[in-house]
Order: sequence, then C-alpha cells, then structure tokens
Amino acid sequence: MNNLYQTQEAKILSAKMVSDDTMIFRFYFVDRKLQNQFAFLPGQFMQIGLAGWGECPISICSSPKNSKEYLELAIRNVGVLTEHLHKLKAGDLVQLRGPFGNGFDVDKFKDKPLILIGGGCGFIPLRPLIIDYLAGRLENTILQLFYGCLNEKTLLFKDEHAVWNRHADFDIALEKPSASWKGAKGLVTNLIKENKKITPNSVAVLVGPPKMYKFVIEELKKKKIKDENIYLSLERKMYCGAGVCQHCAIGPYYVCKDGPVFSWDQIKDIPEVI
Amino acid sequence: MNQKELEKIFKFLGRQWQIFAPQLEGDNLAISAVENFAEIDWSGEIPLETWKKFLIPSEERLFVFDSQKSIETLPEIQKNALWGVNVLDLKAITLIDQVFGKDPYYQKRRSNSLLIGYSGGLESDYKKYKVLSHNLEENVLEHLAFDIFIVKLKNGQVKLYSGSRRGQETLDKSGAKDYENIEFAGPVPEKGTDKRMLSLMDKMEKSYGTKIWKDLDKICIACGKCAINCPTCFCFDVVDKSDPKDCSRCRNATTCFYNDFSLVAGGHKELDKVKQKIYFWYAHKFIRIPFEYNLPGCVGCGRCTRVCPVGIKLNDVLAEVGKTKEKKVIVKPIKLKT
Ligand code: SF4
Ligand code: SF4
Repeated sequence: MNNLYQTQEAKILSAKMVSDDTMIFRFYFVDRKLQNQFAFLPGQFMQIGLAGWGECPISICSSPKNSKEYLELAIRNVGVLTEHLHKLKAGDLVQLRGPFGNGFDVDKFKDKPLILIGGGCGFIPLRPLIIDYLAGRLENTILQLFYGCLNEKTLLFKDEHAVWNRHADFDIALEKPSASWKGAKGLVTNLIKENKKITPNSVAVLVGPPKMYKFVIEELKKKKIKDENIYLSLERKMYCGAGVCQHCAIGPYYVCKDGPVFSWDQIKDIPEVI
Repeated sequence: MNQKELEKIFKFLGRQWQIFAPQLEGDNLAISAVENFAEIDWSGEIPLETWKKFLIPSEERLFVFDSQKSIETLPEIQKNALWGVNVLDLKAITLIDQVFGKDPYYQKRRSNSLLIGYSGGLESDYKKYKVLSHNLEENVLEHLAFDIFIVKLKNGQVKLYSGSRRGQETLDKSGAKDYENIEFAGPVPEKGTDKRMLSLMDKMEKSYGTKIWKDLDKICIACGKCAINCPTCFCFDVVDKSDPKDCSRCRNATTCFYNDFSLVAGGHKELDKVKQKIYFWYAHKFIRIPFEYNLPGCVGCGRCTRVCPVGIKLNDVLAEVGKTKEKKVIVKPIKLKT
C-alpha cells in the first residue's frame, strides 16, 4: 500500500536569500526516476521536512515546465523547522512529499484578462503563473500584476521585476518604504482602486494574508468582477495533506486537498473563512 | 445455538487471538483482555471507553530516520479479537474504515483485528441510544463492517452471523454450523442519504453566529473530553522527535479543542475562541463527514454527553441547531459522493 506520509530525499542545488527573511531553494530528487516523473500545477504545494524537525507546507514557486529537472520553494523563516532549513546549503538533503492540492485551473482563466494580486510572501505561488504567461503557455489576453509588500527588503524576485515590467502591467505598493522609494506607498488595495484598466470580464487571483483578501475583494466587486472569477489561495495549518488530520478544514472543505485554491463563489458564505 | 456452543467458539478463538471484551471492573464497564467466558459483560451497555484504542492508538510511530531517509515502521501487533462491539461502535468503525482506507498503519491494525459485534436484542439498544434516526431495519447488519455478529435472543438462545470471508472461515473452523452469512453492502443504506442528516447539515452550516454557539462559548471549557471519548473522532498531529537516539516521526492524537490545534508559527490561531472550537467539532460530525462520505459523523453513542464536565448535551445542542431558520444557502451546491 502506498504510504501517503512517505517522504523522498531531495538535494539542494542552490539556496539564496531573496529578501531579508525568505530563501529560495532549488531541489532535485535524489532518485532521478522520481524527478523525471515529477509533475505539478501552479498553485500546488509540497510538504518539506527535516528528520527530527517535522514538515510544513510550502507552495512551489518554479514553473511546471522545469519539473523534470528541479523544483523551487521560497521559504520564509518563521519557525523552528524553517530556521533549520535556512541553515542549509547546496548539496544538503531534505525530505519532500507532494505535490498536494488542486492548483490553479488555468483553463478557467482562458481568453480573459488575468489579474494577479499578491501580498507579502503570498506572492510566491503566483510566480509559476507569471513564468507560464511570459512563456506564452497561458491563453490570457493581458496580464496585470499587483504586488503589495512591507518594504524594499521584503520584496521578492527582484531580479525578475524588469522582465515582468516589460511584458505585463506591474505595480508595486510598499507599506513602509525607505525614503528613496519612488513607487506607490500604502496598500495593494489602493493600486486596484486607482487602476482604470481593470475590466469586469477579468479573472483575478489573490494570494496573501486574509486581511488583504477582504479589502481587495471589495475593490474587485466594485469593478464588477464576478465571484466565480475571483480565486484565492488559502493557508492553514496542516499535517497529512489528504483531508484526514482535520487541521485545515473550512466549511465542508479541506484546504489541503479541495484547495488551496478556491473561487470566492465557493467559499464566500463559510463563516470566518478569511 | 445456546450459550455453551458460544463458549466453545470463544475458546477456539482464544487459541489464536487475544480476546478483548466489555467487562465490569467495579462499577465501570471497561474494555479489556478476557481469559474466561464468564467475565464478559452481556448487558449491551456502551462502555465509556471506545474501541478506537485498538485501531487508532493515541501515539503511532510512522517512520524512523536514517539521515533524511524515512523508513516506514508499520506496527508489529498481535492478533486481537474485539468481542462484543455494539452496533453503534461498529458504525463508527465502518466510518473510520472509510477515512483511513488508504492508510497502511491503520490497515495493518485493522487486518489484525477480528471484529465480533454483539446485540442483546437490537430494539432496546436503539431506544436507549437514539440520536440520529437509527431505526432497526432488517438490513442494519449489511451496512456494518464486522467479521462475526452475535445476537442474544429473548429466549436466551444465540443467533450468529458472519460478515466477511474471514468471519466465515473462523466460524467454520470453530465448528459452528448454524450461522447466516451477511454480504457487506457498503456503508450507505440503499434508501440513500439519511434525510435527517441532510437537514441537520444544512442547518449546522447556517447556525454559526446564532445564540446556541454564543451560549456554548460561555459554558464549554474546551477540555476536549467529548472528542477523546468519541468513537468517530480521530484528529491528529504529525510530530517529530529530534532525540538523536530515537529520531522519528509520529502521529499523535489531538482534539480540535486544544490550543495548539490551529496554532501556526508566528502565533496566529484560526480557532481561537471556544465557540469556534466547539462549532468546528460539530461541523466535523454534521457537515464534513456527511459531505465527504454520505454518512452521519455521529453514531449516537452518547459518550460525549456522559463525559462533559459542564453538562453539555449533544441532543440539546442539535435540537437548538434544528431551530435555525432557513435564511440563505451557505454552501452550494451540496454535492454528495455516492
Ligand atoms: S467535554 Fe464538554 S466542556 Fe469539554 S470540550 Fe467537550 S463540550 Fe466542551
Ligand atoms: S454521541 Fe457524541 S461521542 Fe457518540 S458518536 Fe456522537 S458525537 Fe461522538
């Protein structure tokens, strides 16, 4: 019988700090056959673990097109396990299992303007979608990116911003920027409120803290975007990844297997869901 | 069949299996190992303790580690015969079988456990423990997981059923001839989804924020006793031991009432207030399990009510929830797997 909890050894190809608390790791499975068969969807996540320190769920931030060579996870240092992970370097081993979750159903986004809205480290799972859009693998008419962050230090994927800017409308708002910051100040909500290009037929994908969801959804509703075209990725504590341990339950769903991506239409009436 | 013949079967089983059965220890009805047939309690009362300790232990080692390799540690367990499991507890096991259907640790324990159900005349059992609509129908046994089932008839005679190939083989080997075989027809009755379950599910979804949960917020002390004693509760954490001598990953039972249940790094707790916790518990029984398995998540054993230190009664809570007005549809559409 397949053991759902069975982890696989993965080796770190590279590890680099991308903001003051987040490190991007590139991994490949020690078992080459496994890497060759590995496939995932943008928006899915892995359970990463270290012997003796447990596991935690992390969204995959590389593109599915490279899945046969490697996968990338951006890991923020917030707890004991992540602290141990941050001490690792190229060549070190970790445990991986997955992918888990439903991921983004990009077929549903087709032929519509795509709006990606990320807050803080919530921006991480959006990156595979951006990469795929830039590579022409998403059939969306235009791409608009909105990124809200605390300050310059916590901004992720800075090396890639120039490319994104060239091919998409890319707006950043910083809550507490340094004096030299020339861009927008404040919350990502303001960027959306002030944007004149957002059309009612758009699909919006939101990833970030629950506080952001509430206000951003309000703005999107004002722009007449339909509930079924607003997608959000939820975060909950989880252990098993198969809807058994109960930690990630919301309404009748489990974030680990029915999510993490839900349409607003699906979950808007579940009490205290965001 | 009479008592004497049943005792023969008991003795036959005892040669291969460690038999556990309800027995009176002082005033307390316990589930423990029995050597003598005479020790078994036949009252049909529901022991406070559940049978889940044999199938979902409160701590289970999943792996040991060699560097970052995880080496599976399936349980080395003896063959247990669980004798005298009442219908409601069999219902619970039938449900748990669904939930842990793909879990190799559970399956190993389950395959080493011979399930022997017992009813001292079903009707009276049902009158006593009526929570959901358990009507005694002819085909109750068809939807229960068991190997052997014993019914004590009013005239003191015993009727035996087998409910699996293993049960059949065991009875044959024991020399029992007079038994009926029941083919397991899956956990969901033919008449389809339980109507009361559906209506309760709907009302449970709409009731959050109503008075009953505000009241429970003040009364419940979130001790978790109801969950620990409930035969359909199985929440767990997966926790590592970083002890260099015993570096391993374990699955430990928990309850949704405990403070660390939803606590994440950084200090945020999704379930912070008591009303959130107790609603989450009820939602598991009356929303999530029905939604996923098309079965009620509560078998109506009454244990939660018996153990609650502040006197919260499940039936009373459900009655209040049942009064919830149909305001709006919360989760739509309700898709049930069949
Ligand atoms: S046993 Fe009673 S007080 Fe304790 S958590 Fe359950 S409902 Fe609350
Ligand atoms: S009556 Fe209480 S203890 Fe028994 S199954 Fe229902 S919720 Fe669990």
